[in-house]
Amino acid sequence: MRSRFGAAIIAVALAAAPLGAQVYLPMKSGSVRFLVLGDAGTGGREQYEVANQMVRYGKTFPFTFAIMLGDNIYGSERPQDFDRKFTRPYKTLLDKGIEFDAALGNHDDPNQRFYKPFNLGGNRYRTFKKGNVRFFVIDSNYLDPEQLKWLDKELAASGSDWKIAYFHHPLYTTARRGPEVEVRAVLEPLFVKYGVDVVFSGHEHIYERYKPQKGIYYFTVGGAAKLRRGDTHPSPLLSARFDRDRSFLLAEIAGDSLYFQTVSRIGAVVDKGVLARRGVRP
Amino acid sequence: MRSTLDFRRPLLIGGACAVLAAGGCKNEEAKPAENPTGAVFADFAKRVDAYMKLRKTLVDSVGELDPTKSQAEITTRATKLASSIIAARAQAKPGDIFTPEFSALVATLIKQEYSRRPDSVQETREDQQDELPDFVPKVNTLYPTTYPLATFPATLLPLLPPLPEQLEYRVVQNYLVLRDIEANVILDVMPNAVPS
Repeated sequence: MRSRFGAAIIAVALAAAPLGAQVYLPMKSGSVRFLVLGDAGTGGREQYEVANQMVRYGKTFPFTFAIMLGDNIYGSERPQDFDRKFTRPYKTLLDKGIEFDAALGNHDDPNQRFYKPFNLGGNRYRTFKKGNVRFFVIDSNYLDPEQLKWLDKELAASGSDWKIAYFHHPLYTTARRGPEVEVRAVLEPLFVKYGVDVVFSGHEHIYERYKPQKGIYYFTVGGAAKLRRGDTHPSPLLSARFDRDRSFLLAEIAGDSLYFQTVSRIGAVVDKGVLARRGVRP
Repeated sequence: MRSTLDFRRPLLIGGACAVLAAGGCKNEEAKPAENPTGAVFADFAKRVDAYMKLRKTLVDSVGELDPTKSQAEITTRATKLASSIIAARAQAKPGDIFTPEFSALVATLIKQEYSRRPDSVQETREDQQDELPDFVPKVNTLYPTTYPLATFPATLLPLLPPLPEQLEYRVVQNYLVLRDIEANVILDVMPNAVPS
C-alpha cells in the first residue's frame, strides 16, 4: 500500500516537473562550473534518473567537471559493475568529456584510485586546481598522519585561491548517524587555520547546507542514488535541508562568489543561493 | 606518499608514552632500545618489513599497477597478486605479525584512547556501529568485497605504528585487521582489540 502511494506521489511529481531546466546560476564568462554528486554508485533506477537530470541541466548550464563525494561503486566492483554503476548512467556526460574527480567512500575499494576515469592518479588523496579554485580531495576513511601532513602542506601552499575540500564523511549533519566528530577533530583545525571556504561531503543520503561553522560552509550532498527519507532534522545551524528525494548540486564560482543550486531527481530546484568567500563576506 | 617505515617517529612514541603513562618513557628518543614500547614496535616493524620483502618479489612477478581505464585490468592484477600472496603465506597464522606482545600493547593503547573520548564521540561511535562489518576476519583470506570498509577512527591512527602505503589497519567487529590494500588480503588479525 505504502509503495503504491509512494509511486503515486512520484508520478504526480514527475508530471509536475518543469519541462525546461530552471537554471539560476549566472553563467559568467570564465567562471568555474561543476557538478557535485555523492553516494551515486548503486546502478539502480534512481541513479539513472538523477543522471538524466544532470544531462538535462548540463544542456543549459554547461559544467566541465563533476566532483564525486564517495561511495562511487556500491557492492561488488567487477568490471561489469563499473559499467552498470558508472559508465552507463553517466555515458552522455562522459561522452561530452566531463571530467569526474572522485573521492573515496567507505563502500569503495581503495583500488578505485587506479581507475583512470575517477582521476585519482593512483592516490587516495590529491589536490587540483580549476581557475581560481583549489580543490582538496581527502580520504576521510583513513586519515593517517601522512595524509594530514600532506594536507597541511598543500593547504599552506594554496595561497589566495578559493579552497574547497571534499570527502565522504560529513563533519556536520543532523542525520541519524550524526556527524563524524573524530574526523572533524583532525580536519577542522586545518580547515580553520588555512581558511577553507567550502566543504562538500556525502555519506548521509540527504541534502543539507549549514550556516558557516567557524567560517566554513558545509554541504552534505549524499543523495545522488540512495535516499534516507526523513533523515534530516530541524536545526538552527542549518540553512537548508531536503530529504524527500534524490538530489545533486550545480555550482559556479566567479570571482569571489560561489553560486549554487540543488536539483532533485524530478528536476525541481530545492535550494539555491550565493556564498561569498572568506575575506569578502559582510 | 610514504614508502618506507620510520618506527622511531617521536610523535608516535611520545603518543604511546602519553597514553600508557608508563614509567621509563621519558628518554626513549635518546635510548630507544631501552624502551619496551619501542622494542615491541621495532619488532613489529621487522615483521612488516619481512612481509614487504616477500610482497615485492610477488609484485615483480605480476607487475606494478598504473592508473588505467580498464577495471578488468585492475581486477585481474589484484586477483593475481592476492593469489600469489595467499600461496606464499600458506602457513600464516594469527599472531605472526601482531605478536602477543604487540597485541597486548596496542589493545591497551586503543582501550585507553577510547576511554578518553568525550561522550559526544562515544555516542557517535555507537550510532555508527551498524556500519562495522560483521564477518569474522581470517588470516590469509580476502576481505569480503560485499562489506564496506569501516572508517578507521581518525584519532587512533597516530597512536599505531605507521605502515607502508600498501598496507592499512581496519576494524572488523572488535578485531584490528592488517590488510594488504591492493591485494585485499587480510594479513593478520587481533581479536578483542577494540572495545565493543
